[in-house]
Amino acid sequence: MPITYDAVKALSAQLYDWSLRRVPADTLAGLEAALATETHDGAQKVLRMMLGSARKAEAEDRFVCSDAGVPVYHVTIGTAARLEGDIKAAISDGFDALVATISPPLLKHVTNPLTNERGYKGRDMPIVTWDVAGGADWVEILCQPKALGSGRWAALETFSFPTLAQIEEYVMKVVMQAGSQHCPPVIIGVGIGGSFDVAARIGSKATMRAIGTTNPEPVLAAMEARLLRAVNATGFGPMGTGGDTTALAVHVDYASGHGYTPVAVCFNCWINRRTRARIHADGSVERFE
Amino acid sequence: MRTLRFPLSREDARSLRAGEMILAEGEIVITAGLPTVQRLVACADEGRDPPIALFGGSLFHLGSYSQDTADGGLEILYMNPTTSTRFNPLMPRLIRHFGLTAVGGKGGLDAGCVDAMREVGCVYLSFLGGGAPLHSAAIKAVREVAYPDLVAHYRLVRLAVEGLGPLTVGIDAHGNSLFDSLQRQAADRLPEILARLDAERAAS
Repeated sequence: MPITYDAVKALSAQLYDWSLRRVPADTLAGLEAALATETHDGAQKVLRMMLGSARKAEAEDRFVCSDAGVPVYHVTIGTAARLEGDIKAAISDGFDALVATISPPLLKHVTNPLTNERGYKGRDMPIVTWDVAGGADWVEILCQPKALGSGRWAALETFSFPTLAQIEEYVMKVVMQAGSQHCPPVIIGVGIGGSFDVAARIGSKATMRAIGTTNPEPVLAAMEARLLRAVNATGFGPMGTGGDTTALAVHVDYASGHGYTPVAVCFNCWINRRTRARIHADGSVERFE
Repeated sequence: MRTLRFPLSREDARSLRAGEMILAEGEIVITAGLPTVQRLVACADEGRDPPIALFGGSLFHLGSYSQDTADGGLEILYMNPTTSTRFNPLMPRLIRHFGLTAVGGKGGLDAGCVDAMREVGCVYLSFLGGGAPLHSAAIKAVREVAYPDLVAHYRLVRLAVEGLGPLTVGIDAHGNSLFDSLQRQAADRLPEILARLDAERAAS
C-alpha cells in the first residue's frame, strides 16, 4: 500500500508536537549520568532542575521551552517505497496544520532575515533535507526544531590539509565563543570535510545520534572521547553558571573532500529536541524517539 | 535558600553574592523582545514614562505567551528565559535610567552592563533555559500587558509570582560576574586543555 500525503502530513505535525513536550530518553539518561559525577554544588542543583522540568513537561503535557524554534525536518525516502500525493507539500501542510490546532499555541518564531519580522510562515520554511535509502520501503521523518539559544553559536571554518590537532583546536575555539550562552550541557556536532554545505550537514546530523552510542570509526570515537573531556574541563557548566558538565556528548562525522577541509561545529541545547518515526508500507508508524 | 520579595529592594540586591541561589516572589516585569527594549530606551531618552512602571523595578528577559481570557482578564500560558546578551548595548541605559534592582534571563550580560549594575545596585539572575513548566507554575496573576501590537513574547508583561526559581545570581551588585570569571577561567585553562588533547591523541 502506498505511503500517502495524509500519512506524511499527520506524522510531520505529530513529530513536531511530541518534540516540544518530551526530552528524549538518551538525553535524560545523559543528564542523570552527569548529575552522578558533577562535583559543583550549584551545577548539581541546576541539573536537578533540568530533570524536574523535563519530568513535569512530560507528566503535564507542557512545552519544555517556550521557544518552539522553527520546523526542521530530515526526510529519508526508501527507494522501494510507493508514494501517493505531494509528499513535499505534506511536510509544509503538516506544520501549518499544527500551528492552527496545537494547544497551547506556538509563539511566532519564523523570521524574515531581511526585515526581522516574525510569523508562522516564510520562504523555504519548514527547512527540509531529503535523503534516500536504497531498497527500503518506508519513509522516515526526523524532526529537530531549532532555535536561537543554541543555533546562534554554530560556526564553520575552512582549512587546507589540517591536522587533527588544528581541527580539535578549532572545535575548542567555537566552544569558547559559545561560552555560557547555549543552554549547556549541550550536544556538540562536528562535521569535517566534504564541501561547505556537506560539512555543515554532517555536523548537524551528528547531533542527532543518540547519546551514549560509540562512533564506529575508531579514530573518531577516540576524538569524541577526548573532545568531551576537553569541553567539560572548561568549567562553564550547566546553564553556564559553573560546573563540570558543559557537554553531554561530542559527535563527529566526516566526508572525504579535496584538501580544503571545512570544519563545522554546532550545538543542541540540553533539551535536545528530536523525534523520529517511520511510515511503513503497510501504513503502520514506528516511533523511535 | 532565601526567598526575596520583588521588586527587589536596593538593600536586598546589594546583599546578594554571585553564585547564590534564591527564590522570587512578588511582582516582576518581563519581555523577550529587542524592539520592546528599544522602545523602553526611547522612553528613557525622551523622558516619557514607559507603559508599565519600571523605576526601581525588575526587568527580566523572559518570553511568554499571553492571551485574553473569556472573562476579560489575561493569562500566561507559558514563560521561559531568552538570551540576555542580545540586549547588551541597551541594558546599561535602562539599568541606570530606571534604577533597576534586578535584571535576568539566561547567558549573562557584558562588562558594560556589569559596571552599570554596580553603580546602581542591581543584580542579574540566571533562569533555567528549558524551564517553562517550572517558571510557568510560579505565575500567580497577570497584572498588565503592554505593547499589544508586538508578537506575544515581545510584549511587556507585569506578573505576580510565587516560588519562582531557584534563580542563580549570575552577576552581583559588586561587580562580580560568574559569566566573566568562567570565561576567564576557561581561557586560562585552554593551553593546558589543548596540551592534554595533543597528549591523548599521540597516545591513541
